[in-house]
Amino acid sequence: MRMRFGGALLALACLVAGGAVHAQAQPQAQEETVVVRRATEVREQPGESRSLASLQAEASVTRLADRQGPWVRVRTGAGVVGWVHLFDLGTAGSAGATSSGGGASGLFRGVTRLFGKSPTTSASNNATIGIRGLGAEDLAQAQPDTAAVSRMEALRVTEPQARQFAREAGLAAQTVSPLPAPVQPTSSNPGAQQ
Amino acid sequence: MSLRRLALAAGLALALTPAFAQNNPLGALNSILNAVQQQPGKAAPSNPLGALLAPAQQPAVATQPGGIDFMALLSQDGPIDEAKEIEIGRQLAAVLLGSKPMHGDAALQRYVNQLGRWIALQTSRPLLPWTFTVLDDPGFNAFAAPGGYVFITSGLVERVDEAELAGILAHEITHVTERHHLQALRTKARAGAVTQLIGSQIRTSAVGSLVSQQVLAMARNLYSSGLDQQDEFDADRQGVVFAARAGFDPYGLPGVLQQLRGQAPDDPLFALSLSTHPPAQQRLDALASAMGNRLDAFTARPVVRIDQRVARARR
Repeated sequence: MRMRFGGALLALACLVAGGAVHAQAQPQAQEETVVVRRATEVREQPGESRSLASLQAEASVTRLADRQGPWVRVRTGAGVVGWVHLFDLGTAGSAGATSSGGGASGLFRGVTRLFGKSPTTSASNNATIGIRGLGAEDLAQAQPDTAAVSRMEALRVTEPQARQFAREAGLAAQTVSPLPAPVQPTSSNPGAQQ
Repeated sequence: MSLRRLALAAGLALALTPAFAQNNPLGALNSILNAVQQQPGKAAPSNPLGALLAPAQQPAVATQPGGIDFMALLSQDGPIDEAKEIEIGRQLAAVLLGSKPMHGDAALQRYVNQLGRWIALQTSRPLLPWTFTVLDDPGFNAFAAPGGYVFITSGLVERVDEAELAGILAHEITHVTERHHLQALRTKARAGAVTQLIGSQIRTSAVGSLVSQQVLAMARNLYSSGLDQQDEFDADRQGVVFAARAGFDPYGLPGVLQQLRGQAPDDPLFALSLSTHPPAQQRLDALASAMGNRLDAFTARPVVRIDQRVARARR
């Protein structure tokens, strides 16, 4: 009986802790309406498992918070909940771009859009809202703090310490080849705006 | 050591780098002046061959009593040696730490240093003095500076799991290994007006090792406006590989980008991060093209919460 009571307490503690973590993660964990970029299947499990439903390109689905590797959980318009590949989902605005061209041309279109925007304009909105993150105005007022750099440097870990951390965390180095670099459009140089 | 020999070394340096004088006549002038001004027996190349092999590092930049003339260093074309790269990074780090303080949780700081260093060991520059810190800031952002300084906001750490944090750190680590900030600073230095460069030289001489006004202005500008967008795509593409090499799910970074995709650009917690990077959907498109299913063999990893790891580091 005591054990069961203890178990219940533990479960309660886990629930509370889990709830706290969930609440903290809430700004990110919110559901998002996304668009299917190419025809795909809703899978029962992460990976190539049984298909629960078929999705056509440009169908809207709700992306739920869970992700396992490249697989994210979604709810279809018909209420089917299952898993699709992360790269098969996109924002509503991007769906047309994908269906007409594909990743590389979408990238190129975006670069032209970047030329037109001012990188710091959004920071001016910050004053109207209570909580905000480090912004351009913080940098504009920053005075160099070399003493803080020394404090930061005092926290460095050595190579053996890092390897010990990895061992204890069950992390083993893997052999992974570099990914091929994309073919560059020769005429554009986004860095020129700086 | 005669002045003539020093001037000759500087001349050789210029002759060996034809683009140097074309792109940057002022830098060329500075390097001659600096070389001529060096005192006998003080940091002058004793071996003429040394000047030939390393023209940029030896005669071109005078090491002044209190520090390095960064504007002259950045304005020239030759390679910047690692010690100077680290010193530039230190000055940029001082500006970032002047805008937000370090987070006070020692266990969290230790964990991020262990994690970051472990990922950095998988790169081409494992032996840099890698230094990681969590900034006490509710925003969602991360920064890097040359020489191995990496910053991450506490607001980001609270919103991701370990594989996602590994993906972000690996992206920042790539900016360091590829010297992206150094290149951006050089572009800015070369674009600077003549008067600004001369002003910087005077100030640097006067204040010694303090961060010069010019470096301060460039650091503020660099972190407000961001890097070359192509450098961001490169850091994503290489970062997922470094994360996978370190034993993490390589989809941590795409997972974060998927979350960023849904954020309004003027959300004050995300504004700087979103304005200084390509749109998240474009970054995902680029990663989708690069990754395909090449890294899918490395995805079977349990999800680890950061508070679990930090609790262990606290023991």
